[in-house]
Amino acid sequence: MHPILDAIHRSRRDFLTGSASGIGLAALASMLGDQGLLAAPPPVGNAPAGRRDDPLSPRPPHFEPRAKACICIYLEGGPSQMDLFDPKPELNALDGQPLPESFTENVRFAFIQKESATVMGSPRVFRRRGECGMELSDLLPHLGQCADDLALIRSMHTDQFNHHPGQLMMNTGSPMFGRPSVGSWLTYGLGSESRDLPGYVVLTTGRGTSGGTSNWSSGFLPSSYSGVLFRDQGDPVLHLGNPPGLSQELQRESIEAISALNARRFDAVRDQEINSRIASYELAFRMQSSAPELIDLSGETDETLELYGVGREDPEGGGRGGGAGVYNQFATNCLLARRLVERGVRFVNIYHASWDHHSNLDAELSFNCGMADRPVAALIADLKRRGLLDSTLVLWCSEFGRTPLGENRPGFAKVTGRDHHPFAFSQFLAGGGIKGGQVIGKTDPIGWNVVEDPVHVHDYHATILKLFGFDHTQLTYRYQGRDFRLTDVAGQVVDRLIS
Amino acid sequence: MNGVLSRFPMAVPGLLLLGIFLHAPTSMARARQESTAADVLPPPADRPIDFEAEIRPILDARCVSCHGPEAQKSGLRLDSREALLLGGDLGPSVEPGNSAESLLIHKVTGFEGESVMPPRGEPLSYLEVGILRAWVDQGASGEPSASPSPTARRSSDHWAFQPINRPEAPSVSDESWARNPIDAFVLDRLDLEGIAPSPEADRATLIRRLSLDLLGIPPTPGEVDAFVADPSPDAVEALVDRLLASPHYGERWGRHWLDLARYADSDGYEKDNPRPDAFRFRDWVIDALNADLPFDRFTIEQLAGDLLPDASPGHRTAAGFHRNTLTNTEGGVDQEEFRVAAVVDRVNTTGTVWLGLTVGCAQCHTHKYDPITQREYYQLFAFFNTSDEENLPLDPTSPHESAEADAKQAKDPGPHIRTFREPPAESRRSTYILIRGDFLRPGEVVRPATFEVLPPIGSEDDALDRLDLARWLVSPEHPLTARVAANRVWSHLFGRGLVPTMDDFGTQGEPPSHPDLLDWLASEFQRLGWSQKALIRTIVLSATYRQASASRPELDELDPENVWLARQNRVRLEAEVIRDASLAAAGLLSTKVGGPSVFPPQPPGISDLTYARSARWQESAGPDRYRRGLYTFFRRTSPYPMLTTFDAPDANVCAVGRETSNTPLQALTLLNDAVFVECARSLALRVAREDEPEPIARAFRLALGRSPSPDEREILETLHRGFLSAFRDDPEGVSLLVGSVPVPEDLPRERVAALAATARVLLNLDEFMTRE
Repeated sequence: MHPILDAIHRSRRDFLTGSASGIGLAALASMLGDQGLLAAPPPVGNAPAGRRDDPLSPRPPHFEPRAKACICIYLEGGPSQMDLFDPKPELNALDGQPLPESFTENVRFAFIQKESATVMGSPRVFRRRGECGMELSDLLPHLGQCADDLALIRSMHTDQFNHHPGQLMMNTGSPMFGRPSVGSWLTYGLGSESRDLPGYVVLTTGRGTSGGTSNWSSGFLPSSYSGVLFRDQGDPVLHLGNPPGLSQELQRESIEAISALNARRFDAVRDQEINSRIASYELAFRMQSSAPELIDLSGETDETLELYGVGREDPEGGGRGGGAGVYNQFATNCLLARRLVERGVRFVNIYHASWDHHSNLDAELSFNCGMADRPVAALIADLKRRGLLDSTLVLWCSEFGRTPLGENRPGFAKVTGRDHHPFAFSQFLAGGGIKGGQVIGKTDPIGWNVVEDPVHVHDYHATILKLFGFDHTQLTYRYQGRDFRLTDVAGQVVDRLIS
Repeated sequence: MNGVLSRFPMAVPGLLLLGIFLHAPTSMARARQESTAADVLPPPADRPIDFEAEIRPILDARCVSCHGPEAQKSGLRLDSREALLLGGDLGPSVEPGNSAESLLIHKVTGFEGESVMPPRGEPLSYLEVGILRAWVDQGASGEPSASPSPTARRSSDHWAFQPINRPEAPSVSDESWARNPIDAFVLDRLDLEGIAPSPEADRATLIRRLSLDLLGIPPTPGEVDAFVADPSPDAVEALVDRLLASPHYGERWGRHWLDLARYADSDGYEKDNPRPDAFRFRDWVIDALNADLPFDRFTIEQLAGDLLPDASPGHRTAAGFHRNTLTNTEGGVDQEEFRVAAVVDRVNTTGTVWLGLTVGCAQCHTHKYDPITQREYYQLFAFFNTSDEENLPLDPTSPHESAEADAKQAKDPGPHIRTFREPPAESRRSTYILIRGDFLRPGEVVRPATFEVLPPIGSEDDALDRLDLARWLVSPEHPLTARVAANRVWSHLFGRGLVPTMDDFGTQGEPPSHPDLLDWLASEFQRLGWSQKALIRTIVLSATYRQASASRPELDELDPENVWLARQNRVRLEAEVIRDASLAAAGLLSTKVGGPSVFPPQPPGISDLTYARSARWQESAGPDRYRRGLYTFFRRTSPYPMLTTFDAPDANVCAVGRETSNTPLQALTLLNDAVFVECARSLALRVAREDEPEPIARAFRLALGRSPSPDEREILETLHRGFLSAFRDDPEGVSLLVGSVPVPEDLPRERVAALAATARVLLNLDEFMTRE
């Protein structure tokens, strides 16, 4: 146990032991005010000597960071890069023609019959957007307005070709279970500047991802660094209200007592999980005040709500999209993400599953982009006008992309979708020290392979850590006798991404 | 999971190849199009070829490392003539007499767009190809290998596939500590590390541990007192025997099994219709465990109860294990697709539960790490593929004869048993290898069989069925079933398996921390007649189990995960047990065993969010509000929030082991959820009513099974005094907190409110929700 943490526990215990003989519970608040529940959040940037009893107390990184918070928008399934980010006019020229065997001979597909597979063109229209002239699809009209803030990587590649391992790779840097996610590494490294909300919050829209909680798990890091999943139905957090008749003051006294008793148990059995429990209870208490305020959007202007598209209905006919009401839910989540970051939350994950378009790609992708384009663009613009974009890294990512070949699965009347493609795909970053208005990397004329500036998932992670002030080779956690890191034994910072 | 698979993610120089394609076909490409095989392949050698002298050396040098005893890529072995002729997932390797049309020759030359084999190193020389061709053209003859089957069966030196030998318990430093062989194995390892075991836990901790582990219900203060005061040398034995005889044992251990069985009370998918008869399977499990049905028999009934001669309704109910798969009744779905998905789940679940193998990896391709070919996957699949789902009316007089009656019965079967029906052998559906796992791409026909690295199941007989499979799984020589099952039992008693990757005993799993102990447990399990109660009894009576769970700072660095077992582990209670313990402390818990699932109060709005509000939650009344957590109706699309907040599995697939997360949302649940507030209120009334001179100490004992220390008592007394004075000034708060619960006349209501608030603190302590 950390010595400071030890001291805090002792002070609670000593106080409460002595309290019966003199000081009453009423004094508890003032006594603990400078260390306990009621402590004011430490000033931002003044964290180094922070309290360590709270595993989420802020602490400085290796060097001056560019980013302080991250909003990671994860579109599970593999959005089609050649229909969104990486225009390939050659695909239309080749539409319906086979590829040379040399392309596919060492490649196996989930569904494609390679003997008869043919190139599938894209009906999407790409236009140059922003001053930078970045080419983006007509499915992303709103994001196009942010082009000068985006750094678009067209040369992403990963090692994983299936959804779950691919998701783990993108989220934890390893296809294996049990590794900490990016958000866990960052909250472990930096703590959280919010004392009233979890340092790492997960918001989902529609149905779950195939990776489930392993995508935001803290792995071998203490469980305090796990993403906290807010509910996607009804209230984001249940049970925020005290039991009827129990005042906030009595609730506070109750939790103080729980913490004091738990601290005693820690003294007896020294199980670190008890410290996480104490932190969870104290955070729960603070969330009771902070979460209702967080999720109450009544203070947002109509203009802001409209900007994000909060309150939108799903379009008629819809897509599979993972359930009903996803347009409103996704927009609300993007707005909530901004509100979370404003309140000092370190890492926000927004998940939406349903981008695995093996068939009916054009209609489904249009539906999904209709859902995501406007709120994500609004989020970037809104952060910018509030002066938060400089310190907030916004990520758009997925586990892989899709094939330039159409998916000619038997039983399908015609080719309307694409298969998984890990060798070359696109995703973008914005804010948080990212140099916007640029495109990194290039793929071949049909988008099969990267031909310039490949960016591996490990490189991507190394760059994210650098933006947060970490040398990715030095942010480690010793476990089972080995120093683990997010980037395993690889990773090259992509310096061109950084402004 | 489907996907693209490539050995060379970045290896294709795209632009160059694209250039070739887009512009000028090269002469080679043209040659390929226009030539026949015989023209472009190296010519066959013009002399007789002997397999042993000339073919085997080539195969051994260039092929066998991937297609031999160690690995069988694409299900192919090339280490004997017979294996070569048999071929792999792609079919026979050669067509005797016709080398130009033989896959082996195409593969080694890259002909017809085949990727060139071997993938590494120089390709075979023209001379070598010529020798292979000549041998094939001459009829691919050869003397039979020296070692015909079954010794020609593929083998593996991976530990988990070796026979279970019963190891001798080692002699150790402190024979007096060891109560049974388990302790000798554990102490032997600790001796190696120079670590002494922890002292035995105190009696109060021990009875709470045992009660929670075996029943999932904490002991009453009276039970604790009796055990602490029991001077008998057999006090622990007597306690364990009493607990194992309790009907609640079957509930506790039944819930572990239900996790594996992905049991739920609804269909899953979009409509998620209720399954009002699913509970019969759950009750069968509880009863079987209470009766200590031996695990071999249990296995046979779970997998094939319907196939037993004169199968009883109970046997058929047991076979409902594999009826817990999801059912999609969404409009427009391809029923065959979801039928195959259910069979896939049955195969994978069987692999996980009995074999401890991730067999599902072989659904689309030969397993990348374990010696399971795709062909073998579908051979296992064949056992389950032939069976039809059946809803058997409980009332045997129900009509079940005509097609119309069947259709009506499918729609509204009335009270029924969810089981299977096996069609007669001649009308069973065939099983094909599904190429890339796609149900629309049937390949070769396969017959039921098991994995070659495991003991043979018997003759390759078309008539093999699930009953044969189940019997094979529990045959004495099977190396996996007993190890996998014993490891699971161990994990439920220590919070961690000896093999921590409980669902993966393959080469990618972690090896056992104590291999000899695992084998001893596995062999002991069998020696005990597969009695789970006897195995549990042996484990919990060990000195290893009885150790204190307090962390030892000197071991933090050496053994942070407590792999060597120098202490017990503190384990957060499972979702259902937290509920049960709260209700038990409150004196509310209904001890009724079995019956239809119930609908305890849940936060408003939860069930409104499912498809067509299909999950209407008709709140239970009376004692059914206070049933144990495992009886809570589990709706897959809107599970009871408290359960999922505390890491109950989603019941969509087999769950081996649960997470133990620690989140503020859990704190909010136990602090503020009306169910737990009611528990606090009832606990308060319980101690207030009992005319207890020390109600707080009494409540403490009811919750934690021990008396508070002076420090703890002081904290609570101080807190309680504060509450009392606050409530004296807040009659409205009192009436809200006490609610409509009848309070005896002579009891001041503010006292009840203050005690309720204090009791609520007790029910939120880390120790309360932890088995120490």
